[in-house]
Amino acid sequence: MKLLDDMLEEKVSDLAIREPVVADTEEIIRHSIEKMRASRVGCVIVVDEKNKPSGMFTEGMLRELLLENPTVIDERVGDHMVDRCPSVKESDPIFHVLEAMQSKRSRFLCVVNDDGVLVGLTGQKGLMEYVADHFSGQVMVQRIGCTPAMHSREGA
Amino acid sequence: MIDETSLDPSPDDFQDPLENYEPKEYDDPLERALVEEKVTEIKATPFTSIASDATVEEAMRKLGELHHSCLLVEENGGLVGVFSDRDVLKKVALEYNEVKDRPVSELMTVDPVFVYETDSSAAALTVMAVLGFRHVPVLDLDDKIVGIISPQRVTEFLVSHIKTE
Repeated sequence: MKLLDDMLEEKVSDLAIREPVVADTEEIIRHSIEKMRASRVGCVIVVDEKNKPSGMFTEGMLRELLLENPTVIDERVGDHMVDRCPSVKESDPIFHVLEAMQSKRSRFLCVVNDDGVLVGLTGQKGLMEYVADHFSGQVMVQRIGCTPAMHSREGA
Repeated sequence: MIDETSLDPSPDDFQDPLENYEPKEYDDPLERALVEEKVTEIKATPFTSIASDATVEEAMRKLGELHHSCLLVEENGGLVGVFSDRDVLKKVALEYNEVKDRPVSELMTVDPVFVYETDSSAAALTVMAVLGFRHVPVLDLDDKIVGIISPQRVTEFLVSHIKTE
């Protein structure tokens, strides 16, 4: 079946959804950094008391803030997050992920249930893995490395 | 003694080894593109590089000015590493005052996985999806930097081929 057909038929919940790093607005950025490091995730999702996404704080924003004020890491996440938090429902077709990433130009997308409660995180990484899995015969056979092929190859 | 003239094939004896070759047919235009289009068909430029002896602070400012999230670090024209927002998160954020004046070469990710410009576009997807690197440097066959593939650029490539269906 073509990729587009699958993306329209399969649901976001079929993707490899990542566990999000969450915080409330009162959390200190230093603590958020430690959690992002430990989880190897490039953003913190700020949630309200009902666990609904209300904002986002990313590693790109962190870099910008550090240059302005290195002590920002001791300030509250809520003072520096962006209020928008691009999201898709877990019942949406996977194609919505592609559309949302392109239209909102965001690396990260919150995955929410029908009540708007945060259930996971997806985005470019999840989509790449999905496409690679779909075309595994092409993608999983590539010779990839960090040593130039010509230098490591013996003989003619 | 061997009669060398007897080893010369006559033109009538020649058989093209590819005469029965039939190119693979693909059901999906994206699959065809992944196999048949070079990695440079995914937009790989513009890219930004920085000298390995530049400071961490200089590298961070360059990322911000250009709205990029990854720099290619070069030495004598060759790729020696990458420095990205992830490096800032992992190695700089909590130690900023101690590390901001150090050379970027001390905090970059060394020996990054790269692809050659002659590789298929599937190779870039392999690096991202299988190996988990978000940015893929592209080199020419002389190992000079010619570009970088970002997730955003791969997404645009996917969209352009999915929409041609």
